Amino acid sequence: MSLRFPGWLVLASVLAACSSTPTNPGPEPLTYTLAIVAGQGQFGLPAAALAVDLKVRVLLNGTAPAANRTVTWAVATGGGSIQPASATTDAAGEATARWTLGAPTGQQTVTVNSPGVANQLVFTATSQTTPAVNPTLVATVPIPANYGIHDTFVRDGLAFVMAWNNGIRIYDVGNGISGGSPASPQLVSSLVTNVNGVPGGPQAHNAWWFHNPVTQQKRYLFVGQEGPANIGSTSSGDIHIVDVSNLASPVEVGFIRVGGAGAHNFWMDEARQVLYAAFYNGGVAAIDVSGTLSGDMSNRITARVQPGGGSTYVWGVMQLGNTLYASDMLSGFWALDAVTLATKGGGFNVDERFTSDLWTVTNWAYSGTWGTRSGTRGNAIKIWSLATTGVPTSSGQIIVDNVGTISDVAVTADGKALVATAENLASPGLLVYDRVNPASPSLRGRVIVPEGLHTGELAVINGRSYVFAARNPGGAGPALVIYDITGVVP
Amino acid sequence: MISFGLALLGGYALALPAQSRIRVTPMGQGTASVSRMSPSPLRDAVTEARLVQPIVMLDVAYGDRLGATISLNAEGFTMPGGQLTAGGWGEGFVDRRHPHTYVHEMMFSARDILGTADGTARLAVAAGKGFAAFGTDDPMSRPMLMYPVNHHLSQILERAVAIAQLAVGPVAAEASVFNGDEPSAPGDWPLLRSDDGNWRFGDSWAVRLSGRPVQPLEVQASYADVHSPEHRPGAGGEARKASASARWRDAPAWGERYAMVEWARTSELDGFFVFHSVLGEAMVRRGRIGVAYRFERTERPEEERLADPFRSRRPHLENAILGISRWTLHTIRAEYDATDPAGGHRLAPFIEITTGRVAEVSGGVFDVGATYGSNRAGTISVGVVLGWRSRHHRMGRYGVLAPNHGGMSPHQGH
Repeated sequence: MSLRFPGWLVLASVLAACSSTPTNPGPEPLTYTLAIVAGQGQFGLPAAALAVDLKVRVLLNGTAPAANRTVTWAVATGGGSIQPASATTDAAGEATARWTLGAPTGQQTVTVNSPGVANQLVFTATSQTTPAVNPTLVATVPIPANYGIHDTFVRDGLAFVMAWNNGIRIYDVGNGISGGSPASPQLVSSLVTNVNGVPGGPQAHNAWWFHNPVTQQKRYLFVGQEGPANIGSTSSGDIHIVDVSNLASPVEVGFIRVGGAGAHNFWMDEARQVLYAAFYNGGVAAIDVSGTLSGDMSNRITARVQPGGGSTYVWGVMQLGNTLYASDMLSGFWALDAVTLATKGGGFNVDERFTSDLWTVTNWAYSGTWGTRSGTRGNAIKIWSLATTGVPTSSGQIIVDNVGTISDVAVTADGKALVATAENLASPGLLVYDRVNPASPSLRGRVIVPEGLHTGELAVINGRSYVFAARNPGGAGPALVIYDITGVVP
Repeated sequence: MISFGLALLGGYALALPAQSRIRVTPMGQGTASVSRMSPSPLRDAVTEARLVQPIVMLDVAYGDRLGATISLNAEGFTMPGGQLTAGGWGEGFVDRRHPHTYVHEMMFSARDILGTADGTARLAVAAGKGFAAFGTDDPMSRPMLMYPVNHHLSQILERAVAIAQLAVGPVAAEASVFNGDEPSAPGDWPLLRSDDGNWRFGDSWAVRLSGRPVQPLEVQASYADVHSPEHRPGAGGEARKASASARWRDAPAWGERYAMVEWARTSELDGFFVFHSVLGEAMVRRGRIGVAYRFERTERPEEERLADPFRSRRPHLENAILGISRWTLHTIRAEYDATDPAGGHRLAPFIEITTGRVAEVSGGVFDVGATYGSNRAGTISVGVVLGWRSRHHRMGRYGVLAPNHGGMSPHQGH
């Protein structure tokens, strides 16, 4: 049999099949869901419109934007008004409304529904008589896209930027040696740390500038190298010891290695001249850094533990009194003896998410969450109450809308604010909470940074509070972005 | 007189004046298909209709020695979100095969440039945008619609590349230099030099030795050192790749036979991550009926996914992965070639089914069950191959290996 197909039929077939709209055959159910895009958790003046309009998205089967769906808005508590009361989603599946708060102060809520959608959304906002202050971007310092910037250590008006394969870059942000300020950082010097045979290059990730109260020296900068890793299983990378006696000409003088594991975040007991380091699958190490440091100092490791046993992958450590806290991606939040590293409590207490960074402050601790574990996003800040023995007890969590990872958490020196950075999904960036109730921090300020912020380092310079944040590659490119958060939490 | 319009509208590639030294061989092809993946990263089945692999090719030969190979690919328009593919990955896509760049190939070659001065040997050079001298044929020019998982282990393509070739008898040796970065979007051109001033062109190299011990068996072994393929500015590590394969294709009186087996290995970051692949595929066509089968066992990296579970972060933030998965897949295909030999158009409806399993092989936090809800993998596709004039040329074969330029490789393509 011979068939003839004219050209127009071929073309028509091509065009007919060219549709980019997913087809959904009969047996597959159509499930619509509502998700918050913007506007959650704002502060505003009584009887005034909020600064950011509320925005929601309707999704088909969890991912595809659903256009032309009706969304209804209603004030649930606090009085006030919302306009429009009903809207239709656009091509992106999104609908927007403006919320004018009611006259009372305190928390107010708006509910959002859509016909045929199973879930209901609730927006909350806080009405207060003092105007809300958001973090203010004061400086953006581009970092070469050699992966970019991962962390910053700020002390004495100097910012030590960890610029991955560009090594370390030291900026004057208020020290005075180069006339810099937070609004105008001035590069003092830079150093590309050694590769040390670790695949992937210097991979400068984090740092701690050691102020030795015993010798009064400010000689050593410890730099973490984050080498290749199979997260949850293997890692690589050393601690590099850099002599910064001459800040204009830093010199690498030694290193510390844990075989088969890679360095991550640090903390120091400077009075005892002990460096604590997270070593991912290698656990937690305590390192004697007294005296002169030179060459291979791996034998200075005085103690090392893997608190989770075979489920150990430690992200960070922080000391509070005689307790060293450790956040383990796999096994949760731990309390260890600061001298022996013996377990005091905690562990296997965050099963549904991977744990990321941590911060401890009198009686309380906070830890972030990372990535996706069994389908659950790392969008939670875990809250821990600390017993007098140091043992942590879960005290709830904050769910941050539209982020995939809480990459860093920290509390300001005055204890008033909890600051977090976030990555991934629609609303990554910087979050600032008040700690009026430490068990339930309230969101006071938020900056969306589409590229995401990998870390945020807090510092007080000339009486003002700043966050030195690491903006991820992609979009506008990697950069050190500096926010003034003074007044965000009164 | 050169008249491309005449060439395009006229007879099979050679409607130029008889005395012309220019031969132009055009072709066009696309595959309209509906594919269903189950399970998917959404857990539930996903069904999509797409026009995939829409491509226009021109093989141009000037005399006996000069040639050009141009392939224009419109996947950036017809499937910007990629094609559902069990195990597919690369260029920021996961469980989808990425769209190719608009200019898939634009290679210029000079063949046998020394003429008889080097005896029976043939020395050739080729340069432009195209395939490095590494690995096996592009899956687009092979029998199956669905790309194998090993695409990024077994081919290096869409690079700015310069190739030197020496063929002696049935053996050809190639050496190539190119830019290591792979594309990150359909509109990307190879990055010749990064913002920090470092040259990306020339930061990677590949060599390939191929030969025909007996007709029509073709064997090849190749090795490549690719710098920072997944991080365009160049911060990534080295990927050292090896490939070996044997290929058979002939056309007896009753139809057509094709078979290929390959092994590939990619070692990244000095062996911190290693990925292996073995693949075998065969196709037989008798009359209008063609059937094909492919077996593949390939390992791929698992990366953190974005809000879209079919995408991963580009550019990278660090040298970490979530684990390595191994995909063991079987693919079968049946095709009816309804082409009217006199009509010039090709029309071949088909059905293609892929089924298999996924396993975790290296520790890490990647969890097959949590990602897919099952350790099974599968897609089913039905569609029609729509072609104009000849089939695909074998992509990535230039100079002494280019079929239309007197080389050693016959045409190919599904």
